[in-house]
Amino acid sequence: MRPILLQGHERSLTQIKYNREGDLLFSVSKDHVINAWFSHNGERLGTYDGHGGAVWTVDVNSSSTLLISGSADNTAKLWDVSNGKCLKSWEFKTAVRRVQFSEGDKMVLLVTEPRMGFPATVQIFDVQNGATEAVSSEPLYIFHPEGPKITVAAWGPLNKYIVAGRENGSVALIDPQTGDIISTNMIHEATLTDLQMSTDRTYFITSSKDKSAKIIETESLEVLKTYTTDTPLNSAAIMPKVQEFVVIGGGQEAMDVTRTSSRQGKFECRFWHKILEEEVGRVRGHFGPINTIAIHPDGRSFASGGEDGYVRVHHFDDDFFTFKFQI
Amino acid sequence: MSSNWADEVDGDELPQIITDANGITTHIEYRFDDDGKKIKITRRTQKKLIHDIVNKAAAARKKWPKFGKEKGRPPGPDPATTNVGDNIKLKLSSTGQIAEDVDEKHDAMKQQLQNKKILCRICKGDHFTTKCPYKDSLGVEDAAAVSSPTPAEEAVPEAEQQGGSKYIAPHMRAGATGAKGGERDMFREKRDEQPTLRVTNLSEDVTEPDISELFNRFGHISRVFLARDRETNICKGFAFVSFTMREDAQRALEAVDGRGYDNLILRVEWAKSSV
Repeated sequence: MRPILLQGHERSLTQIKYNREGDLLFSVSKDHVINAWFSHNGERLGTYDGHGGAVWTVDVNSSSTLLISGSADNTAKLWDVSNGKCLKSWEFKTAVRRVQFSEGDKMVLLVTEPRMGFPATVQIFDVQNGATEAVSSEPLYIFHPEGPKITVAAWGPLNKYIVAGRENGSVALIDPQTGDIISTNMIHEATLTDLQMSTDRTYFITSSKDKSAKIIETESLEVLKTYTTDTPLNSAAIMPKVQEFVVIGGGQEAMDVTRTSSRQGKFECRFWHKILEEEVGRVRGHFGPINTIAIHPDGRSFASGGEDGYVRVHHFDDDFFTFKFQI
Repeated sequence: MSSNWADEVDGDELPQIITDANGITTHIEYRFDDDGKKIKITRRTQKKLIHDIVNKAAAARKKWPKFGKEKGRPPGPDPATTNVGDNIKLKLSSTGQIAEDVDEKHDAMKQQLQNKKILCRICKGDHFTTKCPYKDSLGVEDAAAVSSPTPAEEAVPEAEQQGGSKYIAPHMRAGATGAKGGERDMFREKRDEQPTLRVTNLSEDVTEPDISELFNRFGHISRVFLARDRETNICKGFAFVSFTMREDAQRALEAVDGRGYDNLILRVEWAKSSV
């Protein structure tokens, strides 16, 4: 396969995301820009300009009308996907590390980081009429979860929970109405770097700096599968269709990269069999660690964003679809 | 594509478009490049109509006008932001061989190093010689002569003594020469380990950047050495190119050996070790 290289960023990528149909790919990076791309040919649809700091996170709603982004300039912004207009800007005391639309797109989840005496918060905003009317500046709910810093978060099935991954490697279920921590489980030995839900949100995959990725059941927070590698991981994604695979990626810490060759850095996307926990293949190409991975909803292509500032979109060859795992 | 006298004689200024029976269209165009040379561009294209079923909403999105930094740009990928990378093979295997392959190499290296203890040649401590804290005060040769377990303490006053009586340039000091010599040897060793090609029959006008440009398409180059005349600073006609990867060097050797460059035919071979 010949990857499409997207050069819309000047600094390292922080998150990439496909919309529900997978025709659009959104990428955010530390260079303040949000890019929208057509995933089939890599054409840039446009940019969403307005952030004054590194953009940490992005999400798009299921009808691809609204886009939300969280940035280190202490704001989260709501955008019109079709024309790049900023519809709403919320200001916070600290940087916004994670945003996500709820199932049904009525709410958004925002996680702000603790800094300079301000505690970490999890906030939920109502964006039901975001496309047509003004959106409230006040959150529906605001929580101050105790304990180590939350690095990643996502909505659980039917918005019953918020699943939050913490700096110490634990995962917690939070009640989205009271902010109570329902349960918590120590999953990893080091900080969580990514958490992506399966299509039906009954299980999710986490990646961690402890060099492993794990599949965890949402309801019980039980570890179902473990994929152990030899390098710190920054992202993990579940292939929704075609093959029972997960794709994980990472690489040596950015600060240590100059000391090793790109081969040793292990900057590869690794394909693991989801059920049998066996590595099946690797895709190399990035010059630096892979920061974020997203898989097309139809499973026919995937994209990876790296510390090197590139997004690489890979459309699988025919033999990928016919591959059968031999036991 | 370089110009050919035959093209110039026959060259038609008008572009030619030929469509053959298989539906392959050949465009032949002539134009002048930046140096005023006439170049012929041949493009062969085959059009294939592919039907694809897309979601209605996705199809509507394809017609959206561009916005932000892309505002007003025509449809189609812009080469400034979108490029196609090198072909990458995703080899899927059921045996878990990918992991083993890498691990084996790693393990072999580990095994090799397992029995080797890092031993400083100067103070016999368990660090690399270059990192020795007594490197400046003690030379490699000195260390060989002194076999006591704490040679540093003995040698330091000696160095101070020398320094106290008369100024001695750093490179003339007792330890310094040895250490420097040792370092240079280490560099040489490292250099010899790298796959190096000897390129001969270069023309006089060649410069280092030319060589790098010629070879860096095959892989990462760690060093280019171009032999120059001491007085005139003109290329002596040969150069050494070190690659980081042996496979890259091999490919470069196969590809460039026998190729014409600046009206001479290059000869590329593996450089013989200087030892």
